[in-house]
Amino acid sequence: MHPAARLGPNAVGVIAIGFIASAMRYLASLARNVEPKSGFSAFGAEVGAIAHFTGRFFTNAFYPRFEWRELLRQCTENGYRSLPLVGITAFIMGLVLTVQSRPTLAKFGAESMLPAMVAISMVREIAPVITALICAGKIGSSMGAELGSMKVTEQIDAMEVSGTNPFRYLVVTRIWSTILTLPILVVLAMGISIWASWVGVNIKDAVSWDLFYRQVFESLEFSDFLPAFIKSYFFGLAIGVVGCFKGYHTLKGTEGVGQAAHSAVVVASLLIFILDLVAVQITDFMGLN
Amino acid sequence: MVEEKPDIINAAPDADAEVVISIRGLTKSFGDNEVLKGFDVDVRRGENLMVLGKSGSGKSVLIKCIVRLLDPDAGSISVLGQDILTMDQDALDHIRVKIGFLFQSSALYDSMTVKENLEFPLRRHWIDKGGQNVDELVEEVLTAVGLPKTRDMYPSELSGGMKRRIGLARTLILKPEIVLYDEPTTGLDPISGKEIVELILKLQRTYGTSSIIISHDLHVAKLAANRIALLHEGRNYLEGTYQDLLASDDPLVKKFFIFM
Repeated sequence: MHPAARLGPNAVGVIAIGFIASAMRYLASLARNVEPKSGFSAFGAEVGAIAHFTGRFFTNAFYPRFEWRELLRQCTENGYRSLPLVGITAFIMGLVLTVQSRPTLAKFGAESMLPAMVAISMVREIAPVITALICAGKIGSSMGAELGSMKVTEQIDAMEVSGTNPFRYLVVTRIWSTILTLPILVVLAMGISIWASWVGVNIKDAVSWDLFYRQVFESLEFSDFLPAFIKSYFFGLAIGVVGCFKGYHTLKGTEGVGQAAHSAVVVASLLIFILDLVAVQITDFMGLN
Repeated sequence: MVEEKPDIINAAPDADAEVVISIRGLTKSFGDNEVLKGFDVDVRRGENLMVLGKSGSGKSVLIKCIVRLLDPDAGSISVLGQDILTMDQDALDHIRVKIGFLFQSSALYDSMTVKENLEFPLRRHWIDKGGQNVDELVEEVLTAVGLPKTRDMYPSELSGGMKRRIGLARTLILKPEIVLYDEPTTGLDPISGKEIVELILKLQRTYGTSSIIISHDLHVAKLAANRIALLHEGRNYLEGTYQDLLASDDPLVKKFFIFM
């Protein structure tokens, strides 16, 4: 069983209640038209505001007018331009995991299990989470900084007064781009890390690609791949929402831009782990672990 | 380029002209800070109304309420005969196209060239401009603001005065009926400031725009305003032409004119 799954299904309930309580706190603060000041209230307000922002995304995401050109530009920026970083990281992860696991497996005479172990680890957990964390750093911070800078220099207001919906043009396209490109990056990271594992195996042994490939795919099942693929959509949603939220609500001038970029990375990374925990609970409940 | 123009006081407006902006009882607070406390004013077609006031008196809040960048707490705002506070988003976007807004910071999109900045609102609200294509319109407004050679430059390559003029060109390209100027000369040297004032006058004459000019600069008031409304403690304290205010014995008005 996955270690996180040992927390039991109650963990999901606790998280859900926390989110609902925070959202209610946010709505209450909206009704009073005041900013909550204390630490816990401010946290609750932040969670509620992010939930509200996500709801606003979904109400705009399927409603014309669609900004196709901007969406394509964002997919290129956030997906295609992240490929080198994700590829290099996946290669290193696959190689390092193989080289470091090998001595332990050798102690039990189980070196032949190395391809299966690396493949399952990479596909189920490491590739989606590491790719998402890298994208939270790269894409989340750039979204926070770019939108934050636009906010403090009144560019977003300028867009709004020219009759353009800035939320749809700037936010919806960016969130869609991370939702659409992150699963592709995750699948590529899976493939690159498995290839890197074969390279790692061949540092000490001579194993043909055909044999390695067969061992990998004999050990993998569709149920290993599917949850990882599905959760990467949610990771993409989290990165896009948090990056845009932080940038779109930037205050305090240039100092705020730095804070927006920084907190976008921190909050998105934390959300990725929380979503991973929820995904493990769900797959465990469905008997897919 | 704009013709040289000495200190000319803009003539008083026609009192019978149609009201294009009507504000009544406008109230806006931020927490406990009540900025506008029942502000009333009318703007007539073709006139430049200047809202004069101290820094932090709520001048920018006022024009942001007119385009609904801020929602007032109470009062009414009618623009071109429509109640702007009750309209839905589509109607609001439609009327915003008729209202130009020049930001104090110019608010040019810094990832786009000047040409792309000008094209952005035009391509999104394409209205037949008498058979002119986008390139022709871009050239026309760049020439109108006296910067025809900047089309491929980025905002970071422009001076403060040039940015302000490109901001004005971006506003003009949709041929608005109303233009709102937020501190149009603040932060500019006297020569660039005068060029902006001359542009405001040129646009008023050429395009027949009605404007609200937010400023605390009495030189702008003297040169560009048909009428001045003094915003003090959230209300329209006094209204009149530049000469009316100059002749006033009111102690507050005298304070404003102390350096003139």
